[in-house]
Amino acid sequence: MHTSSKLTKEFTKKWVKGLQICCSSKKNMDVLERKKKIKLCADIALASAKNATTSWSIALISEAKKEGENEILVDNLLGPESPFKQQKTIPLMSACHKRVRSKKILKRSCSVGQRMKKMGPPKSNLAIYIAKTLVKKRTQVLQRLVPGGESMDEFSLIKEALDYILSLRVQVDVMRSLAHAAEVSNQSDPNVFG
Amino acid sequence: MAGEDEIEGGNRDEEQMHYNSTNLSSDWPFNNPNEVTNTSSNPMNNTAPTIWDHHHPTNSQNLGAFCDINLQNNATTSSSSLGFRKGNLFVNPRNLDMCWGATDSAIKRGGMFLPPPASAMLPHSLSQFPADSGFIERAARLSSFSAGNFEDIINPFGNVPESSLSPYSSRPQVQPQEGFVGNGFKSASGDGSKDMPLPVDCGINDGSQPKQGGSGFSGNNLPGETEFSGGGQDETSNEGLGSKKRRRSDQDSESNQVKRSPQTPSEATKNNKEVQQKGDNNPNSVANKSSGKHGKQVSQSSDGQKEEYIHVRARRGQATNSHSLAERVRREKISERMKFLQDLVPGCSKVTGKAVMLDEIINYVQSLQRQVEFLSMKLATVNPRMDFNLEGLLAKDMLESRLGPSGSHGFNADMAMHYTPNQSQMVIMQGGMSGVGSSSDAARRTLNSHLMAISGGFKDPASQVPSSWEDELHNIVQMGLNPSNPISSQNLGSTPPSHLKAEP
Repeated sequence: MHTSSKLTKEFTKKWVKGLQICCSSKKNMDVLERKKKIKLCADIALASAKNATTSWSIALISEAKKEGENEILVDNLLGPESPFKQQKTIPLMSACHKRVRSKKILKRSCSVGQRMKKMGPPKSNLAIYIAKTLVKKRTQVLQRLVPGGESMDEFSLIKEALDYILSLRVQVDVMRSLAHAAEVSNQSDPNVFG
Repeated sequence: MAGEDEIEGGNRDEEQMHYNSTNLSSDWPFNNPNEVTNTSSNPMNNTAPTIWDHHHPTNSQNLGAFCDINLQNNATTSSSSLGFRKGNLFVNPRNLDMCWGATDSAIKRGGMFLPPPASAMLPHSLSQFPADSGFIERAARLSSFSAGNFEDIINPFGNVPESSLSPYSSRPQVQPQEGFVGNGFKSASGDGSKDMPLPVDCGINDGSQPKQGGSGFSGNNLPGETEFSGGGQDETSNEGLGSKKRRRSDQDSESNQVKRSPQTPSEATKNNKEVQQKGDNNPNSVANKSSGKHGKQVSQSSDGQKEEYIHVRARRGQATNSHSLAERVRREKISERMKFLQDLVPGCSKVTGKAVMLDEIINYVQSLQRQVEFLSMKLATVNPRMDFNLEGLLAKDMLESRLGPSGSHGFNADMAMHYTPNQSQMVIMQGGMSGVGSSSDAARRTLNSHLMAISGGFKDPASQVPSSWEDELHNIVQMGLNPSNPISSQNLGSTPPSHLKAEP
């Protein structure tokens, strides 16, 4: 309970802070822009609340940093500790990417031959082969979903996914409660926001 | 919108259900203590579905109307349980990280896998998880096995705490070593390095088994396990650990390391695929006993639902190849982690096999991400200036969430309605004023006032409200998620709610 509430606290703190920064920078934004900003703030806040302990958070932050305009926001939100880590891990991740890419190419070239072989053996192996393919496809999808999942092997991917799910839940809860509160207050006194 | 709300409601309810299963999963690194917690949490498993059923109709009622009151109720009650549950959930990854870090580092020494990011957590795990540290040491020792030092094999078992092994004859200590000797020969013939994780597994199994106690032998049989030759199981259950070891030593010559689901000392590792590959069940059943014993001890309820098989050992004459052994280790680890994800992801308890579980996980992650998108869009539309008049929001939300769990939701809503933002802001101002002081607050205040200037739509009291709203926001979220959590007097948020309560 403590850890989740801690995460919640951290997340809300950073999120609101980020929102303030966003808000102060621009005056008029249309809905979509606002939504993007909100989501971005939420994501970055979530990732930074983790203090770069998980690779998905690192990946998320580095992705956000790639766009120039977000850098200020990210840096403000993050504080001193994460950026250093990011600088370390980014070259690592590029190496991972390369490794993964080369692995994929190798796999693809091998799989063709494997497929030829695998049609030969009896049906039980075929079932296994089908199962394996299914799993492979799904892990690929999961890799795409979890930030930074491209460079992870299946094993750590699942671990990251687990952590990511937890954080997403926290994020959803906080956002939901805030949205809910905003709705209520909006209803009670529409003039405030009107 | 209605669809999204349904998803939200469904998720909330499902999340409640998963509280208990995550409780189970959190215990897996620990061996005996987990039995108690698991059994205690089992009754809650029964109650959770009822809660789910209760909430589901209410959610469906509210879908079309998007009614705030009811949503409040659900949000507060579900979020309260969620908050409570999340604590347990969140504990899990830490523990998991530590344990995984332990196993990962152990395997790293074997030269098999990439060092995970959690390997830094190894020191923590060593202190907190003596079981893991024990087999880490063993793993480290066994990793040197490839060099051909047989003395190293014998040593790890010397390090295993005597208390854990004392209930058993000395045979358990001897047998695994013999097994490893046999394996060592095999591995020497193959690629030495790749076999390391498997001796690790054996070592871990042997070490961890005594720790888990032999009590779980006979009652061990999970429904899945009964599919294995029941005769073999009965025999082993009657004979006990020693006989099992004896049998294993007999089969050492042809088979490789026993896979006693080492990474899941708590649960039996089950792989459907591996079951398909297996030809003879007897040696597997023997080893299954040990793994099943593990499995039973920690997560009885979850195991009961699964039909996965415990894959334990290589068949006779099959795959002494280092590749397949490594594959098997990998698979076990993965399936072990899938178990936790099963507990985490709603509706996954009945799922067997990796592919379907991965599918569920993918769906869940996607739905969560979609929820985030939706909520951010909602926030964007609700609050045109994105300034989030938090004071007003917090006042009402605090009021509702604080009084929500008490049950008089309608009354609370009315109270919320009656409170004008002016009133609430003033109240918060009173509360906030008391907490003035830090420079960060001042900074926030300037930001806040800057925002007010931009928005330009606020009454004067609002602009004067000092920015203790952050604490209030925390309190709100705290209260929303943990209504039972007593907010200390230090928290500024405690004063406004008391004011708000007193006023009507």
